[in-house]
Amino acid sequence: MNPSNLMKQLATLAMVTSAAATVGLAATAVQAAPAAKTIRVLSAAGVDAASPEAEIWKKAPATQVALQPAFPGHGSIVGTPVTERLTAQAVRAGDRLFVKLAWSDRSANTAIKDTVQFVDGAAVQFPINGKASTTPFMGDAKNPVNVWHWRADGLTENLVAKGFGTSTPVHFEGLKSAAVRTDSGWAVVLSRSLKVKPSEGVSLQGRASIPVAFAAWDGDNQERDGLKAVTLEWWQLKF
Amino acid sequence: MRQLAYVFDLNKCIGCHTCTMACKQLWTNRDGREYMYWNNVESRPGKGYPKNWEQKGGGFRNGALLTDGKIPPKEDYGGVWEYNLQEVLLEGKGNRVVPHEKPTWGVNWDEDEGKGEFPNNHFFYMPRICNHCSNPACLAACPRKAIYKRPEDGLVVVDQERCKGYRYCVKACPYGKVYFNLQTGKSEKCIGCYPRVEKGTPPACVAQCVGKIRFVGYRDDKDGPIHKLVEQWKVALPLHAEYGTQPNVFYVPPMNVTPPPFEEDGRLSDKPRIPLADIEALFGPGTKQALETLGREMQKRREAKPSELTEILIGYTNKDRYRL
Repeated sequence: MNPSNLMKQLATLAMVTSAAATVGLAATAVQAAPAAKTIRVLSAAGVDAASPEAEIWKKAPATQVALQPAFPGHGSIVGTPVTERLTAQAVRAGDRLFVKLAWSDRSANTAIKDTVQFVDGAAVQFPINGKASTTPFMGDAKNPVNVWHWRADGLTENLVAKGFGTSTPVHFEGLKSAAVRTDSGWAVVLSRSLKVKPSEGVSLQGRASIPVAFAAWDGDNQERDGLKAVTLEWWQLKF
Repeated sequence: MRQLAYVFDLNKCIGCHTCTMACKQLWTNRDGREYMYWNNVESRPGKGYPKNWEQKGGGFRNGALLTDGKIPPKEDYGGVWEYNLQEVLLEGKGNRVVPHEKPTWGVNWDEDEGKGEFPNNHFFYMPRICNHCSNPACLAACPRKAIYKRPEDGLVVVDQERCKGYRYCVKACPYGKVYFNLQTGKSEKCIGCYPRVEKGTPPACVAQCVGKIRFVGYRDDKDGPIHKLVEQWKVALPLHAEYGTQPNVFYVPPMNVTPPPFEEDGRLSDKPRIPLADIEALFGPGTKQALETLGREMQKRREAKPSELTEILIGYTNKDRYRL
């Protein structure tokens, strides 16, 4: 299915649907996802992968991930996000997962100094129940998602969401980020311990795989909130 | 839901900005709010504050939220300049009091400029606060439901915990009355001084008004000045009702605030100095009737006849003007 058809279907469904129906849609989308949508995690005990420029990232498999405009979720969210793809990599070192995202973005929007400015950003999303049946569109009331949100102004937030417009910061010191400007844009590493308390987000301990989704915001295009480029289907992070 | 509402009698406004200063001292002189004026007084005709807010878009059309609104850039609000008073006046350094940056716009930038050629130029003052609308565009535009109307008084407030600073509300408010705080990264606005209202005290801008132009009370209080001026006498009108937000600040339109214009031969004209169309552009089709009613009742007064309407508009005591 090409992305524009999928968007049309989503838009049509959104007009008639409730949150419950959206869950059904998500399940369908995941079933339709080809098995190839996999990001392999490189296990490398004892390395430090925290920097996007760390040596280990030359060895970790790099996967091209196509992004589409997110289903906006609210009538006031208008516009088209500009990011079309990102490169995703993952490394497990000891009890910690490092996810590196790299994408093109010509202008670095790193501070809000005027009322009209927005910052660049990226996010990694997991279903807290670990199931691909959870809607990748910010989860729902019964199936929340955990979002690791990096912003170019230095803010990194651990969020839990239960549907559109519900993302809420959950205090957790252990989510770290590091970002560098590359020749073409951004490279960001988000990392966290595999194991956390249930209230702190998704547990990755002992899993063979976990569904994962990505998002990118270009501040130069006033992207924020639902105006973002995303994966419309879950990918699988394979340990 | 009870709805708090205001009436501002523009015939009594002297443009002293005491309301603005009261609000600023109480709420917006710190913590990233320095550039904000939740209350401002602008000269009409004029570009207002933020600059050209009437062209910023937002509001509703045929009940649908418009998404064409603009976020005013910082320069359209104006800078936060300080003067070298300390150095010049107290330390004897230099002999010119100057702002530390070049001002290019501000809360009363086009003060008293108005329109027309002397001696037939004209202007009037129009104080503006959040309209605490019954159908707030800011509330409708927020994807996070961070904005709500307080059930006890209908005041529109931004939940600072829920707000993520997306600024859809800033885009959507057609009055330019939601502000983005660059320090906190969240949006803020006039809160109707709800901590005062809860104690039966009028909002600071109302209480400090030198001209006693402001009336405050509840829409459903049939014995209060709001109901009488808005519903009974129909002399207080909403600003730009066509924006579709059902504002709860009502204005008594200006009349006789300026003498009639001069004719070519120097005689006074029988036409109003401020063209009716200019006032109608702000307050809509009810303007003509409101001005006629005001004129008729004022004439009674001149003839030493009783006029309930002018008694209400004079508002002798706080109890007459405030019903909280």
